Amino acid sequence: MPDILEISGLTKRFGGLVANNDISFTVKEREILSVIGPNGAGKSTLFKLIASFISPTAGEVRFRGQRISGLAPHKVARMGVVRTFQETTIFKTMTVRDNVIIAHHLRSRANLAGFFFGTRAAQQDEAEFARSTDEIIDFLGLGGYRHELASNLPHGHLRALGIAIGLATNPQVLLLDEPFAGMNHEETRRAIEIVRGVRERGVTVLLVEHDMPAVMNISDRIVVLNFGQKIAEGTPQEIQENPTVIEAYLGAEDEALGI
Amino acid sequence: MTTQQKIASALAFLAVLLVGVPLLISATGRSDLYYTLTSVALLSIISAGVWLTFYIGRINIGQGAFALMGGYVSAILVTQYGASFWLTLPIAGLLCAAASVLIGLPILRLRGVYFAMVTLTLSEVARLTALAVPITNGAKGIVNIPLPSGLTIFGITLIPDFATLANPRLAFYVTSVLLMALCYLALYRLVNSRIGRICQSLQQNEELASSIGVNISYIRILAFAISSFLGGIGGAMFAAITQSMYPSSFGVADSINFMLNCFLGGLGYVLGPMLGTFVLYFGWDLLFQTGVFQLLIYSSILIILMLVLPNGLLSIRLARQKQS
Amino acid sequence: MEQVIANGLYLGAQYALIALGLTLIFALMNVLNFAHGQMYVLGGFVTYTVYGQLGLPFPVAVLCSGVTLAAVGAIIEKFLFGPVIKRSAREESTMLLAAAIAFFLDAIILLLFGEKQRGVPKIINGVFVSDIIIMPYDRIAVGVVAAAMIAAFVLYMQYSRPGRAMRALAQDRVAAQLMGVNVDRYSMIGFALGAMLAGLVGGLLVSITGVNSGIGGPISIKAFLMVMIGGAGVVGGAIAGGFILGMMESVGLTLLRNFGDVTYLVIFVLLMIFLSIRPNGLMGKPWG
Repeated sequence: MPDILEISGLTKRFGGLVANNDISFTVKEREILSVIGPNGAGKSTLFKLIASFISPTAGEVRFRGQRISGLAPHKVARMGVVRTFQETTIFKTMTVRDNVIIAHHLRSRANLAGFFFGTRAAQQDEAEFARSTDEIIDFLGLGGYRHELASNLPHGHLRALGIAIGLATNPQVLLLDEPFAGMNHEETRRAIEIVRGVRERGVTVLLVEHDMPAVMNISDRIVVLNFGQKIAEGTPQEIQENPTVIEAYLGAEDEALGI
Repeated sequence: MTTQQKIASALAFLAVLLVGVPLLISATGRSDLYYTLTSVALLSIISAGVWLTFYIGRINIGQGAFALMGGYVSAILVTQYGASFWLTLPIAGLLCAAASVLIGLPILRLRGVYFAMVTLTLSEVARLTALAVPITNGAKGIVNIPLPSGLTIFGITLIPDFATLANPRLAFYVTSVLLMALCYLALYRLVNSRIGRICQSLQQNEELASSIGVNISYIRILAFAISSFLGGIGGAMFAAITQSMYPSSFGVADSINFMLNCFLGGLGYVLGPMLGTFVLYFGWDLLFQTGVFQLLIYSSILIILMLVLPNGLLSIRLARQKQS
Repeated sequence: MEQVIANGLYLGAQYALIALGLTLIFALMNVLNFAHGQMYVLGGFVTYTVYGQLGLPFPVAVLCSGVTLAAVGAIIEKFLFGPVIKRSAREESTMLLAAAIAFFLDAIILLLFGEKQRGVPKIINGVFVSDIIIMPYDRIAVGVVAAAMIAAFVLYMQYSRPGRAMRALAQDRVAAQLMGVNVDRYSMIGFALGAMLAGLVGGLLVSITGVNSGIGGPISIKAFLMVMIGGAGVVGGAIAGGFILGMMESVGLTLLRNFGDVTYLVIFVLLMIFLSIRPNGLMGKPWG
């Protein structure tokens, strides 16, 4: 499989604090790669850097060989690298269906004036978005909540909606921010199925997560951060046996590594 | 409502305004009402702009600046360059839109209270500038602006010369109502098309909007420019009707009133600012009889309203609709 | 040049006091007090009445201004902002309430004191003249008193018990509540204190510039400018903003005299450029 994302020498400093220090790794097409690490290891910063919500102090991110660091987030999304947020970040006062429809923005062929005047291209777009929205909603098991206000969604489904919003943009790489946080066993199992399904659609998945058993279960490869540095990279098996990783986790907190 | 019903009720509303109201006024002889209603129509155009900036999640208290600018652009072009008013109307709107792009680029990144503060300052700065620069003629203002001349294209008279009309008040009233209808039609179309949804996505969460590929800075500028365009043409019409333009024609208090109009009418409805303007303007007018207590009573009512309904007049209706 | 700086410092001290009140209210309750300028005007009229009409000593009059405004502020917080903040869903609500209160105070001031420009007898006669600056003694006195008040305010916020409680409140409302700070009580005290500052400056300045019912709005605008320059909700920012605006006004009036009164246009353009580089002002924290 060819590399789809290439992260090289990525460094981010906030004042005197180094959040990410010289991080390099690659993501292969259609793999599921997880970034883990104790609290404060710099995972969210890395995520924001990849989606270009912030600019790196040094280093760069390349997507299919093209530099995306420093571009505006909407441009990066347009190229196909899309992030999701943690659960509260949705369009709260829109219905579930409207949330997903609006997220089809990138797929529109008509321009804004076209939508204003209701040109044929715009009408075709709208019809296509409606169809695709229903498909995505069913895929994520949100069919029963189609016309519910997003803010009224039950806890577990909020994250599914976040993923639905991400999928609607037709991404090539989807960055998932803690997709399993706060879920019970059954919800996690279903969420894992969803993430696998996303990959089946041809999307490369990069996720940041705390839930070790889930990460071990789902990932093709794992990158481990500690204090802003990459300390390990490998298959779940390799990571579980890596002494540096175990030490980092034992040193940081009593968090089970899922071993 | 189906689309046909909507069109039918819009046409009925327009018919009432254009035929019913003049008939009523000629029957009662209250021709002063023309001026009041014309003002409501124009102020609701200006307020519609503020409403659109609310719709992308910005509290805009700078609309007075653009109304002022629009008024001066038209007044100066008509008095000093002899331009036809009908030509200056779109020019005023476009110049305001252009100015708003320049101003918007830095300030639209600000949110909440901060955007409100900057725009409020803009209102005051516009007044001070109009007082200071020579072309606006300072505090004396521009007076004796001629009435709009006729508009003739290919020998067909589209609009007659207002100076020759027996009742220019009626002509201004009809023009303003038509202009208002046009603006609200465009706004309605805008809000109910995909652009409206995009604006709403900005209002709710700009980060999320940009993550799905929305160019948020472009949309913000676009909405602000449209808003200022509406402010500009509203101001230009006012200059034509009052035949005068002063630095105090639109100030901070007006900017706040435009915001109040939107809030009172409801931020979720396109017709909200129209309703709000109507209620507030007539309320203010009715209180005129209380003389020196006018402002006191007006502001007391506003304070009580905020105490009883801190989320706006139409919040009751909004809550009910959400449940159904 | 020295003259310009002296004028700037004198103006800056007044402005900083006004901005401090506004920023305090903002920091504590996230309310943009549109009525701040009206509070200033009210303070001016109280001093005008007590000193100019009743003939009591000037310091007593200024004190009366402060006390009156503190009471007005406390009442407004207790019965208007407090309840509305608790029940409103959007931040626009408090802004509209503040606007309505500004209109209300305008109306009250107009009814009680009319629309004439009012002045009082000079507090100190004579003019300080030296080789480099010329400045009336009363201006020097007012400037020094204002600077002393700023110092007193900073010390009060830094070291007194209520001051510490208010700073905790400004930093994190919830955490302060958990730590046992009486949020309602200190919100009221803070609002009263902010209003009092506006009243004190109004009282001080009536001896120099006089007062009229129409200047409330423009004063509020100046306060907003200062807060935007310095950064909202920060004591140091308000002081810096006040002095910077005072200095710019003083310089602008001298340099731009030949171009008409475009000082504020220039200041606004500069502010926009500045905000595009530092949207949080000089010392403001990120927000939004």
